Amino acid sequence: MKDRPCHHNHPHHGHRPSLRTPVLSLDQETIAYDGCIALNDISLQIGCGEKVALIGPSGAGKTTLLRRLYQLRPGECAFIHQQYALVPQLSVFHNIYMGRLDHHSTLHNLRTLIRPGLREREEITVIAESLGLAEKIWTRTGALSGGQQQRVAIGRALYRGGSILMADEPVSSLDMVQGREIIQLIVDIGQTVISSLHLVELSLEYFDRIIGLARQQLAFDLPAGQVSQADLDELYG
Amino acid sequence: MVRTSLSFLALAGIALLFSDLSISTLDPWQELGRMLQGMLSPRITDPWELARGLARTLSIALLGISLAVAGGGLFALYFDHRPVRLFCAFIRAVHELFWALLLMPLMGLNALCAVLAIAIPYAGVFAKVYAEIIQESERQATDSLPPGVSRLSGFFFTTLPLIYRDLKNYTSYRFECGLRSSAILGFIGLPTLGYHLETAFSEAHYSEAAALLYCFFLLIISLKYWARPGFIVVPLVAALLLTSWESSLSLANITRFLSYDILPWPMREAGFYDGSRSVAFSLWPTLLWCKQVLVEQALPGLWLTLLLSQIVLVGSGLFALSGFPPATTPLSSPAGRGLAHLLLVALRTTPEYILAYCFLVLWGPSMLPAIAALVLHNGAILAYLSARDADGIPLPFDASEGRLNRYCYELLPRLYGRFLAFLFYRWEVIMRESAILGILGLHTLGFYIDSAMSVDHLDTAMLLILVTALANMGVDSCSQEIRRRLRISAEFTSST
Amino acid sequence: MRPKTVVNTLIALSALLWLGDVAWGQELRFTAIPDQDTARLEQRFTRIADYLSQEVGIPFSYVPVKSYGASVQAFKNNQVQLAWFGGLSGVQARMAVQGSQAIAQGEEDQHFVSYIIAHHSTGLQPAETLPEAMRGMSFTFGAKGSTSGRLMPEYYLRLHFTQAPEKIFQTVGFSGDHSKTIALVQSGSYQLGAVNFKVWEKELTRGTIDPGKVQVIWKTPEYPDYNWSIRGDLDQQFGQGTAAKIRQALLSLDDPALLDTFPRRRFIPADNSLYLPILETGKAIGIFR
Repeated sequence: MKDRPCHHNHPHHGHRPSLRTPVLSLDQETIAYDGCIALNDISLQIGCGEKVALIGPSGAGKTTLLRRLYQLRPGECAFIHQQYALVPQLSVFHNIYMGRLDHHSTLHNLRTLIRPGLREREEITVIAESLGLAEKIWTRTGALSGGQQQRVAIGRALYRGGSILMADEPVSSLDMVQGREIIQLIVDIGQTVISSLHLVELSLEYFDRIIGLARQQLAFDLPAGQVSQADLDELYG
Repeated sequence: MVRTSLSFLALAGIALLFSDLSISTLDPWQELGRMLQGMLSPRITDPWELARGLARTLSIALLGISLAVAGGGLFALYFDHRPVRLFCAFIRAVHELFWALLLMPLMGLNALCAVLAIAIPYAGVFAKVYAEIIQESERQATDSLPPGVSRLSGFFFTTLPLIYRDLKNYTSYRFECGLRSSAILGFIGLPTLGYHLETAFSEAHYSEAAALLYCFFLLIISLKYWARPGFIVVPLVAALLLTSWESSLSLANITRFLSYDILPWPMREAGFYDGSRSVAFSLWPTLLWCKQVLVEQALPGLWLTLLLSQIVLVGSGLFALSGFPPATTPLSSPAGRGLAHLLLVALRTTPEYILAYCFLVLWGPSMLPAIAALVLHNGAILAYLSARDADGIPLPFDASEGRLNRYCYELLPRLYGRFLAFLFYRWEVIMRESAILGILGLHTLGFYIDSAMSVDHLDTAMLLILVTALANMGVDSCSQEIRRRLRISAEFTSST
Repeated sequence: MRPKTVVNTLIALSALLWLGDVAWGQELRFTAIPDQDTARLEQRFTRIADYLSQEVGIPFSYVPVKSYGASVQAFKNNQVQLAWFGGLSGVQARMAVQGSQAIAQGEEDQHFVSYIIAHHSTGLQPAETLPEAMRGMSFTFGAKGSTSGRLMPEYYLRLHFTQAPEKIFQTVGFSGDHSKTIALVQSGSYQLGAVNFKVWEKELTRGTIDPGKVQVIWKTPEYPDYNWSIRGDLDQQFGQGTAAKIRQALLSLDDPALLDTFPRRRFIPADNSLYLPILETGKAIGIFR
């Protein structure tokens, strides 16, 4: 992430979103699956360097919106999945390595599966260290705790690289303490961050822009400081 | 897990060194051409016979499996008792063909014999798998029941609802196996599809044989459209009402079978030729007879059976691992999947005997045709199960597009444990299947059993069946031990 | 139930009703495995059953079986009371049921022979004695319980080579069936095979045999083969004189269409003593102990 800055000179925290160079934008987007509306008439722009939280009741369309945003720039986005996207039988190393499967030839990938090369070892060790997983790098991912597994998922996104970090409910299966750690990590390492979250207080605490989704529609899109209890009540009401 | 796989691979390699893999055919093309011509020009000579064969195959499978589900379910509830476990291990260690051969003298060649021949070994299998599923189910609901609730009512109110899906998945898979077994029982004269198939095939009426096979493929493919819990009751009731239960089960026959026919020969020898049917108990000659059967038939048969099953086990595994990708959603297009599934149905539904014959014509008698036939048959079953398993694996939407990448990183690591579990389940099946290989001149245990049966040496056959059952139980407990060590189970959920 | 399910139910029920088996009544049952063309046995032998019912005056029905072993078991267990056996299965069956009698045989069955056939690549030529060059080749019998496909050929092989077939040959298979033996030797899958002379000659006239690829290299001496046998308690079960009537009906059968089912020119009287050589042969090779 660090090696790929925004195409914008000085991203400052606290600015109005509209003032930044938009890296992702949707214009009156409607998505339907099998005749069911999944997103209805959504327009939004996300600027470089923003930290955006998506909140709303389950079924509101958060995941769909995230995926749609991802598709806008798949080459620049890294996606942190919920834990199920990890392969529990593979080592931490390999799960992180999977972030760049499509950057390498299949032959190289096969070789790495059996015997990883020196370069990959070094690169991934650096990432693992930054996530506090240095000692676990050859451990089966399935044997790790929930928090550690979530770090592996982050590691995969980090290794993939790209200026936009997306996360779908990254802390849904963690307790509050672990959840805070992980969110802090995501917000720190990502340049532009978009994450769906089911915990409103964490969103308000760590993100600077909050998008509320309800019934497949945009309910509100406000800086974190301006979200009122009334907004939230209406969103979840 | 990797180490276990590699050691199995090495064992199979060593087994190959001991095997005769020569190719000795000279003019296979005329016969193969006739077979191919038959396959391309299927002909139904008697639609009525075909329909009746299909209906009987279906009825016998339905009734056999239903009985097995009931029996197996009951045993599963009491599976923590050692005698129950041993009993189940024993009844499933004897192949349905041997059960049929054993029951045939008692009740004749009829539907009842066929139904029981399927129901008995399948009940043993169901008991074991159901018990495993129950064991892995959440126990909280059961544990929170007030004391004094009977095990059975506790089961119906708490455990069953939790595991219903798994039971259903597994049972539906076994139903397909039951249909295959039902058809195969026709080979020894029971009134199912295999009866006509074997006739057409051995008379070299290949067009007719092809038509019968294709109809059977269609029946298997159609399963997923109608074999559902809600509907299955209807054909089941129909089968129950309409199967001819006429059977010549007579007490005299059973008594004679148990108290005379299966007694060791030295005990019967004196009274056999003079017609008196007298039995003389003689320990030493009986022991000598046992020793002779064991040394001359059981041991060489066991050696060849183990050799063959080890090679086939690994071969089937390799075939399945390379054969399932075209049949699974994450790796294949819908058209490709359809084609792959068709091929897998054809391979796993064509009786091994027919496959073995084709390869025999192609390569001449050696272990090679046996290996090829059993690997294709079992590999296709494993590939089908693995593909079904892979279909249930949710891939992240941004997973690598490369198919080999997906295969190696996403699918294989996830399903390998379960794949090994399936494979070890097949181990004992493969051991039992080697019985069909007499045509290849391979003297496996099954060959000796069939030989003894065909010359009315029921005592020898019984002793050999006992040895086979013990060997199967050994292999079974060995595979269980390996699975326990690797902490893998087949968990028949399609993990979503 | 939704309407669709109801319709499905009705279709399934009626289909199975229509296909359902009709239970047998109290009849005299018989079985038969002809040495060739085992297709549609039920239709073909139902006509024999009709003939016997008419001549004997009690209902007959045909029970199809697949193997000699199964026919012996059926006879032993009184599931059939009359059977058209091979030489060997006849002896086995009659020994298992006291008082059982061979009552008739085909005219051809007095002078049955088996052929040893060889693929042309073996270089073996027709000879008076079994050629020594057979050793170490691959060989297939027919069915394990067959007189012409296994018992007699094995007996003469043992007699000549004084060894078990497994020792004489490199591989010994059991094709299960005379036609398959011919097909397997013709394709060179097995170098040698033992086959019933009637099946060989029929396939020769049908043109399925290519004389350039496979030929007869040796003939066994003559032996008695197929026969009609009845259970010892047949008269008790169906009334005095039934056995005699059946025998008479078989001996006077002269409809070529019916005789062709077996296929035999006609049936002639037979008795148990005719098959003593089979018993002795069976003892010699360990089928009878």
